[in-house]
Amino acid sequence: MNFLANKFPHDDFALLGIVLVLPLIGAFVNGVFGKRLGKQAVRMMALSAIGGSFIASVLTFLSLPAAEHGAHAVPKLKWVAWRWLDLNVTGRNIPIDVVFGADAMTATMMLVVTGVGFLIHLYSSEYMKADPGYYRFFAYLNLFIFSMLVLILGDSMPILFVGWEGVGLCSYLLIGFWFTEEKNASAGKKAFIANRIGDFGLLLAMALLAYYSSTLTFDGIKATAGNALLQDVKIWPLGNLPTEEIWHKQFAAGSIWPNWLVDFFLPDKPITAKVSTLVGFSVFLGCAGKSAQIPLYVWLPDAMAGPTPVSALIHAATMVTAGVYLVARMCDVFVLSPAAMAVVAITGALTAVFAASMGFFQRDLKKVLAYSTVSQLGFMFMGVGVGAFTAGFFHVFTHAFFKACLFLGAGSVIHAMHARIHDTDQSQDMWNMGGLRKYMPITHVTYLVSCLSIAGTPLLFAGFWSKDEILWKAYSSEVAGPQGRVPPADLGFVDLLKSPQYMWQWPSWLGPTIYWVGIIGATMTAFYMFRSYFVTFWGEFRGWKIVPGYIDPHPHHADEDLDEAGHGTTDVDHHAPTKKHPHGHVDEPSMAHKSASHDDEHDDHAHDDHRGHEPIVPGEIDGPIPHESPLPMTVPLMILGAMAILAGFLGAEPIHVAPLIHKLEPIFEHATKLVVARDGIDPHGGTMWMMMVPGVAAMVVGSGAAYWAYHLQKGEPEFSFKRSMPGLYNLIYDKWRIDELYDATVIGMVDALADIFTMADKWIVDGVIARLTGMLAQGIGAVLRVFHTGRVQIYAASMVVGLLGMGWFFVQPHAHVVVDDEELRSTGKVVATASPGLGYSYAWSGEGLQPSKSDRVEFVVDQGKTREVVVTVRNVFGREAQAKVTVTRPAARPGPGQQPIMLQPLPQQGALTPPSGDAPPDQKPMKLEGNQVGGLLRGEVGQ
Amino acid sequence: MNAVPLEYFLTVAGVLFTIGAIGFLLRRNLLVLLMSIELMLNAVNLTLVAFNRIHPQNHAGQIFAFFIIVVAAAEAAIGLAIVLSFFRVRKTVRSDDADLLRN
Amino acid sequence: MKLDNLETIFFAICTLLVLIGGVYTVAAKNPIRGAMGLLGAILGIAGMYLLLAAELLAAIQVVVYAGAVVVLFLFVIMLIGPSSTGTTDARGALGRYFGAACFALVSVGALYVVMRFGGQTLSKMPEPPAGMGTIEVVGREIFSEQVVAFQISGVLLLIAVVGAMAVARGKHGGEMLLPPITGTVDPTRKSVSADLAGHASVPEPQLTKSEVKS
Repeated sequence: MNFLANKFPHDDFALLGIVLVLPLIGAFVNGVFGKRLGKQAVRMMALSAIGGSFIASVLTFLSLPAAEHGAHAVPKLKWVAWRWLDLNVTGRNIPIDVVFGADAMTATMMLVVTGVGFLIHLYSSEYMKADPGYYRFFAYLNLFIFSMLVLILGDSMPILFVGWEGVGLCSYLLIGFWFTEEKNASAGKKAFIANRIGDFGLLLAMALLAYYSSTLTFDGIKATAGNALLQDVKIWPLGNLPTEEIWHKQFAAGSIWPNWLVDFFLPDKPITAKVSTLVGFSVFLGCAGKSAQIPLYVWLPDAMAGPTPVSALIHAATMVTAGVYLVARMCDVFVLSPAAMAVVAITGALTAVFAASMGFFQRDLKKVLAYSTVSQLGFMFMGVGVGAFTAGFFHVFTHAFFKACLFLGAGSVIHAMHARIHDTDQSQDMWNMGGLRKYMPITHVTYLVSCLSIAGTPLLFAGFWSKDEILWKAYSSEVAGPQGRVPPADLGFVDLLKSPQYMWQWPSWLGPTIYWVGIIGATMTAFYMFRSYFVTFWGEFRGWKIVPGYIDPHPHHADEDLDEAGHGTTDVDHHAPTKKHPHGHVDEPSMAHKSASHDDEHDDHAHDDHRGHEPIVPGEIDGPIPHESPLPMTVPLMILGAMAILAGFLGAEPIHVAPLIHKLEPIFEHATKLVVARDGIDPHGGTMWMMMVPGVAAMVVGSGAAYWAYHLQKGEPEFSFKRSMPGLYNLIYDKWRIDELYDATVIGMVDALADIFTMADKWIVDGVIARLTGMLAQGIGAVLRVFHTGRVQIYAASMVVGLLGMGWFFVQPHAHVVVDDEELRSTGKVVATASPGLGYSYAWSGEGLQPSKSDRVEFVVDQGKTREVVVTVRNVFGREAQAKVTVTRPAARPGPGQQPIMLQPLPQQGALTPPSGDAPPDQKPMKLEGNQVGGLLRGEVGQ
Repeated sequence: MNAVPLEYFLTVAGVLFTIGAIGFLLRRNLLVLLMSIELMLNAVNLTLVAFNRIHPQNHAGQIFAFFIIVVAAAEAAIGLAIVLSFFRVRKTVRSDDADLLRN
Repeated sequence: MKLDNLETIFFAICTLLVLIGGVYTVAAKNPIRGAMGLLGAILGIAGMYLLLAAELLAAIQVVVYAGAVVVLFLFVIMLIGPSSTGTTDARGALGRYFGAACFALVSVGALYVVMRFGGQTLSKMPEPPAGMGTIEVVGREIFSEQVVAFQISGVLLLIAVVGAMAVARGKHGGEMLLPPITGTVDPTRKSVSADLAGHASVPEPQLTKSEVKS
């Protein structure tokens, strides 16, 4: 370590550059040369790039400087790569460096990104083995790791934004990895567009911060937040119009509308908000986009169209948690606005429950996991929203392991299913699985461990410690903000004078409500996760009739399994069920298909749903014994499964085993001062253990219900629910038809607008403007074509005509006078110079002027007087031209630079009567500013 | 070596340039056109050298003329090559017949 | 005879050479005569260079123009044949004559300006500095101040050589200007009759006739 400290001082920690650049090299090599390198080399390149990056990350983590409690600035490793921009905002300089920094939170994220990233690379190297786009996949994946590292290491908003957009790009590329299928491509586009909406918020936040804080580095924001961000901003949401007055005049007797509604829609009074609230909202809009929160969550379930390892890495473990990371990173801004915190917490809680409900009856294994991810992200936001930044971030940490493990387990199962079933939807349908615990023991155990972890099984599993901490903090604390019940000593960094305006405060019921909503969400999580577990791994295998010693009649399929898997992994088409079943009828799961009562329906289903090339009816074909996945796939599973348990003990606060939490706490120390315990709650008292009971009960109830319904009853309760209430069942199955709602409202509006513009384009642009320009060009062309004879000598002749014109110009004399009035004010001396010409002779005349043949004449103007000088130019052809200069010297009174000197423009010859000898200087003057030192003016007359 | 005044040289150059230009405009034989161009270039060279003679601080005019000779040689080579290939296509060297791009 | 008078006479001879050569160049019906006129004009200008203290340029003028360019013209005229400019054709004649008239007008004006410029006195040439226009002095300047331009002019020449070859060879590469002469031995005449068939538009070459005559 000493060696490291010597080599890499804390303020110039170039090791971060190595962490960053290795994946970039990997991406470059694989992307540019990958096709020629071959799969082994691509695999080596990708793995060694991420592996090297992981090792460097570990070294970074180990060289983190120890934090001192109470110190103002959190110690950080920093590396300034280069100066990028030098902004100038309203006169203040905002240098933007390409600067990377690592504190405990960043280093932890780095370990997760590179560590889990490495495992998933390893897994993918097997999973994607047969894909023709192998090199492309790893290039994207490496690029993703690079972008993600930029995102978390970037020590200022713009650098973070670069990474933010980079991961968005990689996400788009990888969702649409099998872009030949339209639904995959459109899923990628959907993700990209939903993210753009969020990015708008992030850009807005940056602009606000640049304007109000004059800095964009995180340290700078932290230092200035308590002061600069508490200013008031007035907002007129719908425009500052005097509408209210008109309204009141109109309805003087009193309208039927409540006053607040009138105030909002007819505003001439502004809404006052703190900058911190605005920044908080804007940042959270970005986070909601990236981390799939209401209302922008819709892209994440569709993102499962990408290869399963991508779902595991990007859409579960790393990228989607960037929003949580950013809120935690910006904690110093968020705590200054209880309203922004409340929005974060409430959105998180709602998303947690809402997404969980959508996961209830999904048939697609990956879809279940996708909704579970959205739901867990909701939990994280709930955590950071109630001020439990450590807990929220710790949930990011644990979630990365168990969710990656779940996804990889699902991938392993799907891999096994592809032995016989190649259709995407079929192979991912849980109701075609079942009983796999016998055939895939490693996958089964790791999946179970992760399920227990995500469900929050107490005391042993990681998910319990993080989720429970979030729930406890939600119950026990409230975000007080700068005006709340915060001990004055803790408010040192807040400039309260800046915020006399009343700020919205948390009502006392908000915390407990969030807590109970969270408990409901946890129950649901336990239920649907164990549903997926029991349906997949217990019961009888329903995919095909297992024939021991079965030999594939098309043995080449063995190699192409994954290839085919590749060409359509997931059902992302949310319309699919409704399209296939116009009457809202969703097929009954085929768990009990062997009983005669379900056979018919099942057949329908199989034929209806099946879009593959082989007319395979799951359950009725023969197939081999499902096989466990090969070692490169199971090793990551085992490691992640182990981490799903062990990670918890890095932050098990209730039992005081929390090394990671202690590392993280100093980062949030500053911000958490504004988060206080609710009235009458001792944050370290016995209440904590008491409030753990509902959390544990949630896990027991949820998983118990799943055990009863799907293990003991073989799913019968779900079918009977479906039969009794098909409307509600299908509504949930169709994810509450939110996508359709968006289609009808927002997208419909945009479509309508696009239609209008199409018409405008067709009729106005193409119809009128394009035709007019076309005709214009045609007309000009018709004229020019006459001259375009194609004979070189005619062209030369036309050149000569131009020459003739120039000759005529030279035959004319041209009188120009350049007046140098530099000394006009001081001494009154003026130098007039006539422009030269071939064979010109000059004659100057004027009142009191010596006749001169020179091209240059000097004369003196008295104060307050005007003088006229005339020059006559004669050329070799004997032609003459005159130019007259009128110079007025201002009277002595005004100070320099106040009164302009007048230079009279001269009339054409023939009307050569000057305006009048003593014309007032303001009569249609050509202005010559006095401070135009040495400025040259031309008084000119032809002939 | 200073008996002849500058204007004489300029006049000769002007007349020669005019002859070249009128030849270029009136003749239709591509070879004659090229020769007319050479005449004009020579006229220009003559003025350059003559002016250099009256401002003899350096050799800017002469060196300029030197480079013009270089360009003229290159131009003659290319021009004659074009005439050759034009002749191969049209079996004539009349400038009027170089109208394949028209219509 | 005074040296000045000798110079004036020399200038007069050169002027005559230049003007007659120039007129002959553009007026001659036969391009070969035109080329001879060009040669005369070039030699006359070379003589004027001598008067203007530009020895090196005079030499280059003779070597490059008289020795290379005019010879090149002659080669091409020989390759094409003297009869390739057919009968008169009045197409575009109006434009050409109009252009020529305009140009003549402008030239007359310009000459007038030159003659009247500076009043009635002619600008007398100053005494040239020692060594003006000699190889040594000009070379020193070319290879020091103008060396970049000099190098670039070398590149230009290279490009011109390559370009001329590319243009002259044509699309098919190495195609002969005239089809190969397919000679057949005529036992009765004991001479080679060249068959130039295939060049239908080319009038019967005189070469063949003279060949046959001999």
